[in-house]
Amino acid sequence: MGGGGFTAARGDPALDELVLELTATPCPRICLLPTAGGDSEHQIRRFHETYGDRLCEPSHVSLFRLGRRPVPLREHLLAQDAIYVGGGSMVNLLAVWKAQGLDEILKQAWRQGIVLAGLSAGSMCWFEYGVTTSLGRPAPAPGLGFLPGSNSVHHDSEPARRPVYLEAVGAGAIPPGYAADDGAGLLFRGTSLHEVVTARENARAYEVTPRGERALTPRRLAPASNTAATIPAVAELRRLRLARLAD
Amino acid sequence: MTRPRQILALGGGGFSMESGNALLDDHALALTGVDCPKVCFLPTASGDADHYIVRFYRAFPADRCQPSHISLFRRDGGAADLAAHLRAQDLVYVGGGSVISLLGTWSAHGIDGMLREAWEAGVVMAGLSAGSLCWFEHAMTAFHGASTAVRGMGFLPCSNAVHYDDKPERRAAYVAAIKDGLPAGYGTGDGAALHFVGTELAEVVTSREKARAYRVAPLGAEVTETELATRFLGAPLAVEPALAA
Repeated sequence: MGGGGFTAARGDPALDELVLELTATPCPRICLLPTAGGDSEHQIRRFHETYGDRLCEPSHVSLFRLGRRPVPLREHLLAQDAIYVGGGSMVNLLAVWKAQGLDEILKQAWRQGIVLAGLSAGSMCWFEYGVTTSLGRPAPAPGLGFLPGSNSVHHDSEPARRPVYLEAVGAGAIPPGYAADDGAGLLFRGTSLHEVVTARENARAYEVTPRGERALTPRRLAPASNTAATIPAVAELRRLRLARLAD
Repeated sequence: MTRPRQILALGGGGFSMESGNALLDDHALALTGVDCPKVCFLPTASGDADHYIVRFYRAFPADRCQPSHISLFRRDGGAADLAAHLRAQDLVYVGGGSVISLLGTWSAHGIDGMLREAWEAGVVMAGLSAGSLCWFEHAMTAFHGASTAVRGMGFLPCSNAVHYDDKPERRAAYVAAIKDGLPAGYGTGDGAALHFVGTELAEVVTSREKARAYRVAPLGAEVTETELATRFLGAPLAVEPALAA
């Protein structure tokens, strides 16, 4: 996702909902990795607010601050149906993942069919290269390379990234790829782009090659509600969750 | 005038853990030998947690020092700015959190090299927990699992374990690691701090009378834990001249 989703002030519930749908599981386990934001409490709170009342089992893993109970990283992550990576510093994200061995765990997660999602740094990390502002001015930075090519985000909301991205691809410094606006998502099956989805009227994604950028035709997602009212038996769900936490 | 290389490695304590007891933080300031020292806080190990940064500024107010902090999650300046800022300090204070995430992030920004340069130029390095472990060649960390040894930056050519009093499994893991060939080092409890001048331990200071630190080293096929002499900073004889005046 180029930006937006649950961390944005306005939110994009349709994208948040899509992540759950992609798991094709009735009550998916979804785990937030807030690493790029330094395990920001705001991001963690917004994630639990967003997914807490949906039919899923949300959790998060902190790589900076130890929670009350240590989490067996590998076991926990590989038991998920979806892993959602929050935004922040792409450079720090990759450095910390590598130091903690998460790059290898995530590769295994992806191979075994766990849906990998994320926005901003959490989008670019899956590609060979992204365009990051982690070190100040926008600059290309290497990602995990699960997906071939490059990715740039906030294409509409942070215009300083665009010329840097187009120039880097144009000069052959980084491979061609995709740029995404806030509220637009690139859905890959395997390593091929399956479709572009958007939660906002004018959000777009672009294919970027040395010849320039070309807008891709998106599928506008049906609006989803942010409220708990759409889910039957939310109260029951909450009770179950509390009971499980108390175990 | 050349300043000595100094590191104050807290097993735990200071403003992060001992609200109302500023003895170790005061000692870190005193080691600079400067009236109103420049102090830069590195909260990296906590992921630059906002509340932690706020607590640093409360503990190191502008009437006692010139405080600043560096966030590596919201960087707007270049690397040259960071290096120059660190070199210009009297004290660098590293917060707690995950030492693995700390070192990974620092390495990505080149902070490790900048800190070595600052340390060699006489900027006092201090920190607790992850902010203590990072200075050593080897460090014991128990983040998300059993206690294991990881590589630190190696300013100090020995090993280190922190929070050495509260959890028996931590002590057992450190002793076992040294038995398995990890270089000898120090187990440091909460409220105790190792003061290194150069790479030699100069003294152990404490903010609590019961705080302890140990030298942990192999002896034949066994490992010995030797309690080190400590100086309680709260004792009347240890009152800082500035406070007594």
